Amino acid sequence: MAAPEVHHLFHHPIADHSFSADKQTLAVARDTNVELYGRTGNGFKLKDELKGHDKFVTSPTLVLLRINRAATFVRWSPSETKFAVGSGARVIAICYFEEENDWWVSKHIKKPIRSTVTTVAWHPNSVLLASGSTDAHARVFSSFIKGVDARPEPGVWGERLPFNTVCGEYLNNSAGWVHAVSFSPSGDALAFAAHDSSITVVYPNGADQPPRAVVSVSTQLLPFMSLIWNGEAEIIAAGYDCEAYRFKGNEGGWQLTGSLESKGGPGVAREESALNMFKQLDLKGKTKDDTQLKTVHQNTISTIRVYEESGGAVRKFSTSGVDGRIVIWNA
Amino acid sequence: MPWYLLGFADHSQSLRPYLQCVRSSLTSALCLSNFASQTSERHNVPEIEAQTSPEVLLNSLTVARNENERVYIEPSINSVRISIKIKQADEIEHILVHKFTRFLTQRAEAFFILRRKPIKGYDISFLVTNYHTEEMLKHKLVDFIIQFMEEVDKEISEMKLFVGGS
Amino acid sequence: MNIIQQQSDATLNDNWRTINIDALDPESSSNFDTSTLHPAFAPVSQNEIASLGQQVRQLLRGGDAEGALRGALEGAPYGGDAGVKDLHLLTVTEVLQAIRASEMTPMLQRIYKTEGGSDVLDVLMKYLYKGMGSSGSARGSTGRNSSLTPQSTGFTQMSGRPGGANENSGSAMSVLLSWHEKVVDVAGLGCVGRCMTDWRKV
Repeated sequence: MAAPEVHHLFHHPIADHSFSADKQTLAVARDTNVELYGRTGNGFKLKDELKGHDKFVTSPTLVLLRINRAATFVRWSPSETKFAVGSGARVIAICYFEEENDWWVSKHIKKPIRSTVTTVAWHPNSVLLASGSTDAHARVFSSFIKGVDARPEPGVWGERLPFNTVCGEYLNNSAGWVHAVSFSPSGDALAFAAHDSSITVVYPNGADQPPRAVVSVSTQLLPFMSLIWNGEAEIIAAGYDCEAYRFKGNEGGWQLTGSLESKGGPGVAREESALNMFKQLDLKGKTKDDTQLKTVHQNTISTIRVYEESGGAVRKFSTSGVDGRIVIWNA
Repeated sequence: MPWYLLGFADHSQSLRPYLQCVRSSLTSALCLSNFASQTSERHNVPEIEAQTSPEVLLNSLTVARNENERVYIEPSINSVRISIKIKQADEIEHILVHKFTRFLTQRAEAFFILRRKPIKGYDISFLVTNYHTEEMLKHKLVDFIIQFMEEVDKEISEMKLFVGGS
Repeated sequence: MNIIQQQSDATLNDNWRTINIDALDPESSSNFDTSTLHPAFAPVSQNEIASLGQQVRQLLRGGDAEGALRGALEGAPYGGDAGVKDLHLLTVTEVLQAIRASEMTPMLQRIYKTEGGSDVLDVLMKYLYKGMGSSGSARGSTGRNSSLTPQSTGFTQMSGRPGGANENSGSAMSVLLSWHEKVVDVAGLGCVGRCMTDWRKV
């Protein structure tokens, strides 16, 4: 596997990152600002900064969200006509552009969310929206807006879907705040990662019916903060263990197959020679220099995104973390 | 045998598993993330101290070596409170521990993670928030707490010798 | 006069300032209904748990330590009251103390590989923490835990050996600590994490 590309941008946590379609520009969320980096040669240089993030800023237009608590997460729909904002006010604001008034409008999804919304993910049809919350539930809503969306075809999630319909609500046994949700590429399955160190995959069976299968994988690792699908049978997740892990499976079951990182890289070598050990002992009074973690990321990975895909499979994905690094990996 | 356990060879048998248990529990509890307050606008508070939203608090864990040496870990989504009860066998040690912890807590801002008042029933408490785990390395934070626990016992015994106790 | 009578007692003097408005507001986030976070618990009576304890002890006497441990853990009384739960803690601790150190890891690995094994180890971990938490009297109160009754003699009852309470609880603690290390080796830190997030409390 080729070595991953590492970009150490700064020493602050990166809450979220996003590459432009041509991969030449990278937007990074840092504290309350968004910084834009342009690719120069092999690295990224700071190009622009969007400050003033009390309310959401998009191009030069201001969009009023009408939420009275922090906005936690935002994603554009695949059709790029709407975006969804999760918030601490226990609502999801769906914002779309209304032609008649030449203005962005937000509609709220409120019931039955009972706690801060931590993450949202769009279904490929741009109508269904999955959300995860600190009330330990992952939910699928319809965010159908007349005039903006084309009526979706009936599918495994349900048929007639007015705005704010709850198509499904899922909770796993050991309840933990949901950190990440994601639809599979076809949209027929939903995966979510929770704080109890598990990922759960739901295969629905149509509206008002119990799902075909709900498969939960509890791991021995620390919780995952973010996940992506790689085709219909593989999930890549990353989180507090500072490295990415691969899961494979289907309706019958899912298993953790392993880490995506090969250890013993340019960081700290595991087998030190005896001479090196005594040298360290002499210099620092310690037998092991363990300040650096053996993984590329030195702190929690907060987001993982698809970077390059071909033929339905992910070729490269990017991760950003609390250590201020953006790393591009080969899948 | 891992290098970092070499120093424990001369301690009593249950110390190593005790510290190892504290290490595992802390590593798991310190998975913190930023969380803006749900109850107050534009505020960001350590939820374990505010305790206004039950769903963001986690079950607390106790790690105990015996009645007199225990660690109480209270996790939440963005903060963890770690309270330590230090071994005090007699009156003199009791007074020494009290003086020692007062010395530290009066300088709490220099330590960043130290809480000014210990939780009831314990001698000293730490409050670690997501800002600490973002700025500092989590495994080094855990190392610090474990080293602190080991050295406190040594310090108290030394001070006892100076004071003239047995 | 009527208007004054319509006021509640609290508002007549200045006590209206001390009303905890968040507790009364159904929409407030402090009134989060935590029963939504776990499946409904079937109530468990004292008799049921006592008879389960006897079954477990029989298995133990018969030499089937693994069956005893598994049976005790799978029968954890989430729906019982504090007395029922404490009674079952004694049963589980007895089983744990009866198993030899050299048998711990192989037994854990066998259990982990079976169907639902990871859940069984999660329950074991919860009992380890509960056991360590129940000796000694003082502990701070937080939102998640109801205060446990102090049980400084909790372990003398079950081991039945003469000697001070401290000595017994100390040895019970070291048993729990060595089990903890071995469970983490098999089930990983995810197991500890689930002890913290899970609302099904033993």
